[in-house]
Amino acid sequence: MTAPIYEVEGLVIDLYTPSVSVRAVDVAGFHVAPGETLAIVGESGSGKTVMTLGPLGLLPEGVAVDLRGTARADGKDILSMSPADLSRLRGGFFGVIFQDPMSALNPMLKIGPQLARQAQLYAGLSAEEARKEAVSLLARSGIPDPEDRYGRYPHELSGGMLQRAMIALALAARPRVLIADEPTTALDATVQAQILALIRQIQKEDGIAVILITHDIGAVSVLADRVAVLYAGQVAEEGSAVDVLTAPVHPYTRGLLASVPDFRSDHATGTREIPGIPPSQTQLEPGCRFADRCDLVQSSCRTHRPPLVRLGAGPVPHRVACPVVIAAEGIVTHD
Amino acid sequence: MQRMFMRRVGLALLLMLAATALTFWLVTAAPGNVAALIAERAAGAGADGAMIARIADELGLNDPLPVRYARWLGDALTGDFGISLRTGKPMAEEFAERIPMTLALLSGGGVLVLVLSLAMGIAGAVSNGGVADRVLHGLALVGASTPNFFVAAMLVIVFSVWLGWVPTFGVSGLSSWLLPWTTIALFPASVLARVVRVNLQDSMSRPFATTGFAKGLTRRAVLMREALPNIAIPYMTTFGAQFTLMIIGAIVVERVFGLNGVGAFFIEAIRFRDFIGMQAVLTLFVVFFVSVNLLFDLLAMLADPRLRRPRKA
Repeated sequence: MTAPIYEVEGLVIDLYTPSVSVRAVDVAGFHVAPGETLAIVGESGSGKTVMTLGPLGLLPEGVAVDLRGTARADGKDILSMSPADLSRLRGGFFGVIFQDPMSALNPMLKIGPQLARQAQLYAGLSAEEARKEAVSLLARSGIPDPEDRYGRYPHELSGGMLQRAMIALALAARPRVLIADEPTTALDATVQAQILALIRQIQKEDGIAVILITHDIGAVSVLADRVAVLYAGQVAEEGSAVDVLTAPVHPYTRGLLASVPDFRSDHATGTREIPGIPPSQTQLEPGCRFADRCDLVQSSCRTHRPPLVRLGAGPVPHRVACPVVIAAEGIVTHD
Repeated sequence: MQRMFMRRVGLALLLMLAATALTFWLVTAAPGNVAALIAERAAGAGADGAMIARIADELGLNDPLPVRYARWLGDALTGDFGISLRTGKPMAEEFAERIPMTLALLSGGGVLVLVLSLAMGIAGAVSNGGVADRVLHGLALVGASTPNFFVAAMLVIVFSVWLGWVPTFGVSGLSSWLLPWTTIALFPASVLARVVRVNLQDSMSRPFATTGFAKGLTRRAVLMREALPNIAIPYMTTFGAQFTLMIIGAIVVERVFGLNGVGAFFIEAIRFRDFIGMQAVLTLFVVFFVSVNLLFDLLAMLADPRLRRPRKA
């Protein structure tokens, strides 16, 4: 296995507004290697975005953030970097695609010149080369008539085209890690598949690392090599996409997969919802975060946080934070 | 866009018509009698009722109001605003002498508003809750709540009387303009500084600002390159509104600093019941108000690519 290119460990992120403080990420981590696609899965508020973008300083302004742990990009410690170095890393090393391209692209700025500027600053191209590069990036992202679109404002493009432009913008600096934060949530179903296919194609061609933040299990099965399931700021289960999607162990992962509707079944009877709601992350209690919604809950679940335990002997570590299921089903652990 | 433009211009013309009609009626309704004033001026104490009635008849003052307004409007459209009852000179002549003074006051003040409001608003956003932000916020509050006659008096006391840096009165070179410009600019600059600051803050919390950070821009670069273009629209509309209000400030400021402009003329016209002068100045104000607001509304439309280049169907 190649060494990780973006790696986060033991991350704790507290968010403060004047009235509340929330532990958005509670001792969690992930890693992704070049050429690999990691999907970070979880419901809204589980901390997916905060965990991935927080170490890069990409949280919305106006929220105070307290961040601890380690985060390394290409072996370099991100959290101790100067603001200028971190800015440069964000611009060049990472490319980010956001959820809603309509609001993520500045309505007052033309699309093409932004791409050209990134190419000029980070890929070391001349102004003229950068313009050509921008046009070819638009073309590569599947935008028809890229010469014309270069000088367009965001409102002149459709949502799907805008997300393609956003992808082109994220790629303009030739990043090593592409972070896609719910890249299809705001798009029509037919466009979603196209965007996912485009991300997969780019990943194959460029061999970059991709982090896909999503709650769309379908997108995970299309793109991901590995999956990390996040619940209330903690990693519940992680492993290869095959292991996690076909042999889930954690009760939350099982519930999450069971709640995905299967369009081939006649009714919605095939789907089950997970009862209850995620815990409030303003009050921290010991024990498993999922305990209140779990069928298998035992008294020990409420007193001790379950550790992530590696299962089996597969080449890609499959880790689960649920000793109850492991014991009950006699699952073989790694050591 | 073109239809919107034509509609705005049409609306502005209607507004001017309505506003001049209203002021015409108000000026007529004010106590005092034009015919009596003219008679008094011509014959002194010898003016009698018969003479006043004859003058009123000659001037058509006994005609119904709409007829008089229509007559006035016809003259005004040809540039004839009548003869000032106070100075005895045609109003067109008075305007030619005084408008440059008022324009110098307003344009200098306007430039100062532009520079001060942008500098204060941007500095506050750069500081973002720091000492500078809070001090500037306080200054803007004081500036927006201090009446201009008081500001003028304080400025004169400090800079003219105590320090002796600038003259207290009249026009003598650039330095004499500093206090009038500052006085007239303080209120609109304070209001606009808040507009800049608040809208920058709003832009900085929008998703496109996060995209700016993701592009590798520093916070200052996100402010200047991503957020600043987005405040153009609210800024221009508010600037237009505040700039038109400055003509009200000009009435006081010209008076206090002894500038011989339209505002000072207006005060004298009221004191001497110069109805002709009052109506002429009010008309000028109406035209100024409506056309400047129109201009800035159109500029704001031009600044917004969504309005300038609507999506093709």
